[in-house]
Amino acid sequence: MKLLEWQDKFSVGVPEVDHEHRELIRLINSLHESLAQPQSAERIRSALGEIHAGISAHFALEEKNMQSWRYPDYADHKRDHESLLDELGDLMDASEHEAPVDPHAFGAKLNAWFETHFQTHDARLHSYLEKTRAVDQVRNET
Amino acid sequence: MSRLRKGVRALFERTENGIERVFGPSWNPMRQLGALGWLLFWIITASGLYLYIFFDTGIDQAYQSVQALTHEQWWAGGIMRSVHRYASDALVVVALVHLVREIAFDRFHGPQWFAWITGLLVLGFVYVCGITGYWMVWDQLAQYVAVTTSEWLDRVPVFAKPIARNFLADEYLSGRFFTLMAYVHIAAPLLMLLFMWIHIARYAEARVTTARGLAWTAVGALLSVSLLRPAVSQAPADLDRVPTEIGLDWFYLPLYPLLDRWGGTTVWFIVLAVGIVVALLPWIRGTKPAPVAVIHLDNCNGCGRCVDDCPFGAITLVPRSDGAPFAQQAEVNSDRCVSCGICVGACPTATPFRQASALTPGIELPDESLMRLRDEVTTRAATLAGQQRVLVFACRHGAPVADSASLCAIDVPCVGMVPPPFLDFVLARKLAEGVMLAGCRECDCYHRLGDRWSEERIAATRDPRLRERVARERVGVSWAGLKQIAARSADVEKFQTGLFPGSHARRGRLNAWRRVPERSAPWWRILGQIVVYAFAGVALAYCSVAPHHQTLGPDQAVISLSFSHAGRLKQPCKPLSPDEMARLPPNMRRPRNCPRERWPIEVELFVNAERVYAGTHSPAGLWDDGPSTVYERFRVPAGPKTLTVKLRNSGRQEGFDFMRTAAIVLEPNQNLVIDFRAEAGGFSVR
Repeated sequence: MKLLEWQDKFSVGVPEVDHEHRELIRLINSLHESLAQPQSAERIRSALGEIHAGISAHFALEEKNMQSWRYPDYADHKRDHESLLDELGDLMDASEHEAPVDPHAFGAKLNAWFETHFQTHDARLHSYLEKTRAVDQVRNET
Repeated sequence: MSRLRKGVRALFERTENGIERVFGPSWNPMRQLGALGWLLFWIITASGLYLYIFFDTGIDQAYQSVQALTHEQWWAGGIMRSVHRYASDALVVVALVHLVREIAFDRFHGPQWFAWITGLLVLGFVYVCGITGYWMVWDQLAQYVAVTTSEWLDRVPVFAKPIARNFLADEYLSGRFFTLMAYVHIAAPLLMLLFMWIHIARYAEARVTTARGLAWTAVGALLSVSLLRPAVSQAPADLDRVPTEIGLDWFYLPLYPLLDRWGGTTVWFIVLAVGIVVALLPWIRGTKPAPVAVIHLDNCNGCGRCVDDCPFGAITLVPRSDGAPFAQQAEVNSDRCVSCGICVGACPTATPFRQASALTPGIELPDESLMRLRDEVTTRAATLAGQQRVLVFACRHGAPVADSASLCAIDVPCVGMVPPPFLDFVLARKLAEGVMLAGCRECDCYHRLGDRWSEERIAATRDPRLRERVARERVGVSWAGLKQIAARSADVEKFQTGLFPGSHARRGRLNAWRRVPERSAPWWRILGQIVVYAFAGVALAYCSVAPHHQTLGPDQAVISLSFSHAGRLKQPCKPLSPDEMARLPPNMRRPRNCPRERWPIEVELFVNAERVYAGTHSPAGLWDDGPSTVYERFRVPAGPKTLTVKLRNSGRQEGFDFMRTAAIVLEPNQNLVIDFRAEAGGFSVR
């Protein structure tokens, strides 16, 4: 079973951001699958590494875009990114040193922060973009 | 050549070690020579504007107005004038040291040619400003500068009449000339400012302001020198006399004694040859440059962090070219990239935790791949032993780090190339108990911003940030110049012995890794600065007027033979017959044909029956139809003389058209002018 499913409501309406979101969901699902298999410590580590690279790059791009859009909640959103990256680091630390990871707890953790982030910060960004786009449209028409 | 360069660099490094001890890293003038130049430029501009209010143009007015502002308002105009002079002298020193230092540190090759060439242009303007400045005062130094400079310029065959003729005697000189000088003296700094701006245009975060404390102490030092040793004029100019002994400003006028000795043409060749060689230096190099950064599009989403961090403005974002659903991608301008790798440290995909995919970041140096860096980290770390193992990323341009059983140094082109996740990686994988960045001299990164970005990344104030939960007491930095070897090993040792063995958990505060900055300078430092400024002040005040330059022996005088006269036409006018006229094109038909070509002027000068000069001067103009010009100066012993001067302007084979003999007594230092005006009856001697 897939942990996360792409849903249209996740879309922020910017092709490159949505593309990376889909890509990240794919990575997380593949991690989840590898958790289900036995003898997978190395694979978990490797999958986490990919997620780390993917998420870092994605956040960097999203932050650049937010700044260029003058998104008012940038500071908040950015803080959430940093704490997500920190938590991911903690997960990586745990996968290095601790006893075999409990796949369910692990999956739940990932799921939780992704869902929350999508549903709060990204959704807020989405509505901001819609609003500014509408304003721009009105401006262009007049 | 490169050995000489290294020797000079070692000399700089050692000098700077001493200066840093006195000034501290952030005030160290040697690491902000460019910014110091800007400061001096503004000081000179401000004082110059004040002086301009009181400066009058005119042969006598120029000198008198400068005298008045120097002495009648010594407390304002006098100080301003002295500050204007000493800051200008300091500017030459700062610019030249800056130039030599960039050569010694090998920061003029490849992409840096741009700053090199524009910097040389700025230096040229500095000299134009300085020379015209001395010219405006119209004292004896100004007279000497005027005559010598214009004679030198006259060596270039672009001026129809010699400029030096303006300075034969007072009646040749126009008051308007000082208006022209004032104009040039204002226009040149404006152009200079333009080139200063272009000079730094390619650098991100170029420094144009010095540390505030340094600026204030430098201004204080300039004011002190100005009060203790005010800049004054020399005796007023007198074109009938040749200034014999002059206090020369050796910062601006070191070539002038050479002009006296070797003549203008030789000095032109020397200046041009040296100028061309210096200008071409960036393209002369022994070693091949390192290949520039490349983009791996598979790992680049166009986030622009490398663009933000590149100190050389070498990266831009351009529209996506590979069809991936991103708007932009990074692009490297190979003409600007110096291969420092700071962009690699900024790339979010440069995380060593990646294993499934190859560790290729979005931007990378071909010769310094991150994959190899990670391999080196893991293999070298595996050889470390003990409870306080330390892994150091050591910059190539700073003091070296010595390996030991529990410490290994990995060589990188700049500490800014190390992505923060690498520090995380070393600690998380327990490859070492501590990880350190060892860079160049504090506040003096070889690649400009590597130290600053690294510190900000570790302090989590700049992206990419070092993860908050990474124990900062296990992350160290050390800044030490090439020859600060003792300081480097002290830094490393202090960091290593301070490491708590065992737990890698975070214990201290986020900024625990930072050194506490000194609040106030100790007394010996203040004393040291006073000594340095006093030394600089004495050198400035002394070399701006001394040692004196002897232009003429005490019992010598000068005879100036100079005039401008058109020789006779070679052929007389000839009326054209109607036939001849008909053969000409209609627009060129004229009743008489007058060939324009003139005879050259032949002139001879005898002093006491001895011929001292004989010359033939061709007419000016493409058709040899202009006047011939003569400008010759002879040094002769003073005393009674019989002068005979002869001139031929008709191409005749024998005899002369004009001749004059005069018995005169040449006084010492006299400037005797022999002019020729056909309409006034021939030669005049006065």
